[in-house]
Amino acid sequence: MSETSAPYLSAKNITKDFGETRVLDDVSMGINSGDVISIVGPSGAGKSTFLRCINLLETPTSGLLEIGDFKISIGPGHKSATKKELSTLRRNVGMVFQSFNLFPHLTVMENISLAQKRVLGRNDDEAKERAMTLLDRVGLRDKADQYPGRCSGGQQQRVAIARSLSLDPKVMLFDEPTSALDPEVGAEILSVMKELANEGMTMMVVTHEMGFAREVADTVHVMVDGRVVESGNPEKIMNDPEHPRTRKFLGAVLGR
Amino acid sequence: MVLYILQGLIWTVIITVGSFAIGSLLGVAVAGARTAASKIVRVLGRIYVEIIRSVPPLVWLFLVFFGLAEIGLKLTPFQAAMLTFSVIASAYLGEIYRGGLATLGRGQIEASNSLGLSRLDLLVRIVSPQVFRTVSPSMVTYGIGLMKDSALASTIGVVEMTFRANQVTQNTGQGLAAFAIVGGAYLLLSIPLGFWARGVDEKMRKKYVVN
Repeated sequence: MSETSAPYLSAKNITKDFGETRVLDDVSMGINSGDVISIVGPSGAGKSTFLRCINLLETPTSGLLEIGDFKISIGPGHKSATKKELSTLRRNVGMVFQSFNLFPHLTVMENISLAQKRVLGRNDDEAKERAMTLLDRVGLRDKADQYPGRCSGGQQQRVAIARSLSLDPKVMLFDEPTSALDPEVGAEILSVMKELANEGMTMMVVTHEMGFAREVADTVHVMVDGRVVESGNPEKIMNDPEHPRTRKFLGAVLGR
Repeated sequence: MVLYILQGLIWTVIITVGSFAIGSLLGVAVAGARTAASKIVRVLGRIYVEIIRSVPPLVWLFLVFFGLAEIGLKLTPFQAAMLTFSVIASAYLGEIYRGGLATLGRGQIEASNSLGLSRLDLLVRIVSPQVFRTVSPSMVTYGIGLMKDSALASTIGVVEMTFRANQVTQNTGQGLAAFAIVGGAYLLLSIPLGFWARGVDEKMRKKYVVN
């Protein structure tokens, strides 16, 4: 990971209040093109909220987002993002959710082609072709005409990944993508993600899977109580954590 | 006699279909208001719905027909009936839509946003088809109720079936036959609608197993 060039995506000084409660307190994080970062930490630490601030599903109370040439400051004295800015941002940033969030009234194929047609303006043939390529990649070519309700959780999550990839995002956000799945099925999702990482996708992954973090991530950020308490390479963090909260958290998830 | 009474069917159908159509469009606005981000709008929506649903349709019909005439807005019986039933339908259908919206998880809205789909696409391609699927049986049930309520229009002089049957009864004394014809006509209209609604519901359920 080069420290000299500016990161492709950076979120600076992100603060988020829900009413009186500060859930994110001055969180900054950057990611270079092609890197994978894992955000770990106890539940309620604000990991998901932080991730959702990056594509503005959640509007931070204040902070700065820079993604490629796109820059937006949020907070008192700044205008909120325009529709066009939001659309640019979201076209470049894909997101995969814990609960898959497929559209149940659309077939797998329609789930994957809808945004291609409506957002990128691809025609039906182009969208279908791209969808089929992606379905092949996640091993679900034969499910194209099924409705999501007929797919297992693991299959739905793979479709969700394909749907997100169909817009050719520059960065993929994963919000606990395996938490709703059996460990065995979760492993399938993790292997799809691992392949993506190997192909050079820039990824930010909120996860409890320390194995994934160790194997795939370039950097691990540990969040506790709305702050990043420790960042570094996964080996270092897992073998020699500096912050007492990191040690406590690792002790709990790794059972030591 | 039969023919004379059944000629009133056209008004029953026009009032029912017309006010259902207008009410189903206005209902979107009502559901929108009831689920709006602004608290003031939500409260206004609530007040609208409660006021309309708390007063019997017959009273509304008289209020609109006689009441508006008194303040200078003279409506024909047909206009008054259409206005009244459309507004009433908007309140009930709005509440039905709102119930359907509640079954749609936030997750899908977030997924749609994260894909960069516009708000219009979200409404037209994601929300509406699903809400419609969920609520169509309730909508048909309400439609059948509305059709029966439309008989009230006879009281302000709309020459629909009930009005005509009443006329026949006054003139010939054959009330049993006259109103049996009206009852039979309502029955024949309601039953297929009910079957159709159940059929649609089952078909939808089979098609995409809701999870």
